[in-house]
Amino acid sequence: MTKLAQLMEWIDARFPATKVWNEHLAEYYAPKNFNFWYFFGSLAMLVLVNQILTGIWLTMNFTPTGEQAYGSVEYIMRDVEWGWLLRYMHSTGASAFFVVVYLHMFRGLIYGSFRKPRELVWLFGMIIFVLLMAEAFMGYLLPWGNMSYWGAQVIINLFSAVPYVGEELAVWIRGDFIISGATLNRFFALHVVALPMALLLMVFLHIVALHKVGSNNPDGIEIKKYKDENGIPLDGIPFHPYYTVKDIVGVAGFLFIFCFIVFFAPELGGYFLEAPNFTPADPLKTPDHIAPVWYFTPFYSVLRAVPDQQLGVVAMAASLIILFFLPWLDRSKVKSMRYKHWSFKFWLALFIVAFVVLGYLGMKGPTPMRTLVAQIATTYYFAFFLLMPWWSRWGATKPVPERVTH
Amino acid sequence: MKKLLITLAASLSLTLAASEASLSFPDDSLPALAGDELIISMQHGMQVYVNNCQGCHSLAFQRYKRTAEDLQIPENIMVSNLIMSDAKIGDLMTNNMSKKAAENWFGAAPPDLSLVARARGTHWLYNYLRGFYTDDSRPYGVNNGVFKDVGMPHALEQMQGLQAKTEKVKGLENDVAYAHADIAAANKKIEEGGNKSELNDAIAKSRKIIHDAEDEMVKLSAEGEYFTLIQKGALTTEEFDEAMADLVYFLDYIGEPIKAERKRLGVWVLLFILGFGFIAYLLKKEYWKDIH
Repeated sequence: MTKLAQLMEWIDARFPATKVWNEHLAEYYAPKNFNFWYFFGSLAMLVLVNQILTGIWLTMNFTPTGEQAYGSVEYIMRDVEWGWLLRYMHSTGASAFFVVVYLHMFRGLIYGSFRKPRELVWLFGMIIFVLLMAEAFMGYLLPWGNMSYWGAQVIINLFSAVPYVGEELAVWIRGDFIISGATLNRFFALHVVALPMALLLMVFLHIVALHKVGSNNPDGIEIKKYKDENGIPLDGIPFHPYYTVKDIVGVAGFLFIFCFIVFFAPELGGYFLEAPNFTPADPLKTPDHIAPVWYFTPFYSVLRAVPDQQLGVVAMAASLIILFFLPWLDRSKVKSMRYKHWSFKFWLALFIVAFVVLGYLGMKGPTPMRTLVAQIATTYYFAFFLLMPWWSRWGATKPVPERVTH
Repeated sequence: MKKLLITLAASLSLTLAASEASLSFPDDSLPALAGDELIISMQHGMQVYVNNCQGCHSLAFQRYKRTAEDLQIPENIMVSNLIMSDAKIGDLMTNNMSKKAAENWFGAAPPDLSLVARARGTHWLYNYLRGFYTDDSRPYGVNNGVFKDVGMPHALEQMQGLQAKTEKVKGLENDVAYAHADIAAANKKIEEGGNKSELNDAIAKSRKIIHDAEDEMVKLSAEGEYFTLIQKGALTTEEFDEAMADLVYFLDYIGEPIKAERKRLGVWVLLFILGFGFIAYLLKKEYWKDIH
């Protein structure tokens, strides 16, 4: 026995290293027909690692006080070696995180990956999504620019719409009567310690749940139905090396776009870094037009579409909560879009239009015309989910193959 | 189906994106510069800045030494010609203006300009700097065509001289003001139950007057007939415009000193990723040969 094998044996007697490696990589059998849409899970992990690593190095030079936060970000941009790169990777990473997560969720939607037995995978994923929104929101306050300040002001004020305790709740969140250094300090603590830990825990659970039931695939059929004499799914291939080498190609494609933005357009025309954030937070000077960063705007539009503020907050919360129920709303006989009735594609296309329109409107100031369109899109957003138990059963499905198509 | 969706989306985006920007003058584009020309422009911009702006506007996040290195200014020249205080070469480019006193003088303390180019954009800056004109209603006797009722005096008057709106522009502005008043009056009459179709015609007519006047102003501005010089400065208009372009390029550099370097580096990063991706693709193909 070689020295290395001896060492492995010594470790395995004390820690299930080889067992874990096999169960989750070398002998984790994934369907062999994954397509483009299956890159985004591993890419989300990559972005998470990027955010954590660049985040750690950013904290080394960031000062979380109202007096110095803004200046310390500029210190990082100018005086810290490679600080600009860390900062742009982190700020671009925030938007990239939402891009890959939205696409990852969309994949689940079109191939029915949330359907039985993967309900918990979906629920854990939804918790990750909500945590991610909180993480992004708190991180956005830290540079202490004027948009950071007023964006946080608008969002925290939403909590004062809660009946009876609203005002006190908002004060409790801010730690002050207005957004101040106290708010910044606690958001910093939550952003760099509490929420990342919660995120990591949920990502762990998301993957454990996934590996228990196995991955879905574009055909929406179970590969565990047909196994060979060794109990290995006939249509399954070991995740490592097949999907590790494939995902690396995806990583290269992702990094090309990511680095293009980091090096050539870190502000991305004001969508990733907003121009008013290059002036320091000023409680006396409201920016002309307060808009959340692009990844919040669909939900922000839902909020504004409702004329009454309290009901608007309820609608916005509902637009998120409703996603949790997706596994029980879809009643179609088949999982994948490929075998659903053509009407699914129609409702889905309209949903994409509604979601993108809501996102666009959330970035713009309101006009009567825009509010009307936002109201129509919001209505459709809710109708899509609430009426899904009926429309998903409508029409004939196509025959589902026994084995995956490759 | 798809076509229908695309047309639908396109027409929707058009109605929703209806213009919200109001006109401001001047509205000229910053001349494009690159390479050595750009460096020389930034160097000259710095000279303009330290001589005319820094007394009030600090650049408190940027250091002289870094600026000297990036703009290829020898350190001894920086120290002897461009550092106006007793600051050391490694110091931040601050000034000694008392914030409290400045608030008293101008209504608001002059802001630090380290990031003004990123907050406002170079197009805005270029026109703002060239947009001061005489206006007796203002405390310092000047207003700005881009930043209405700005608290700042015309600091570069000695260079530019003093410009005023031409008589033509003043006439057009009058027409617009009257048209707006007519619209308001007509709307009021409609509310009071006046003849709707007649009044709506009047509103449409006034709107057309406004529209035409604005078109005319855009035309005048493009021809350089929006402002006229009523008092000569040390520089000709062309020289002054050039100096302002230099100043804007300098502030653009100060806003993000790494900009040029990150673009240079980015090319190599992308080339590396392309090569890496190609090898990764070959590796994937090799492994997946036996999957059917």
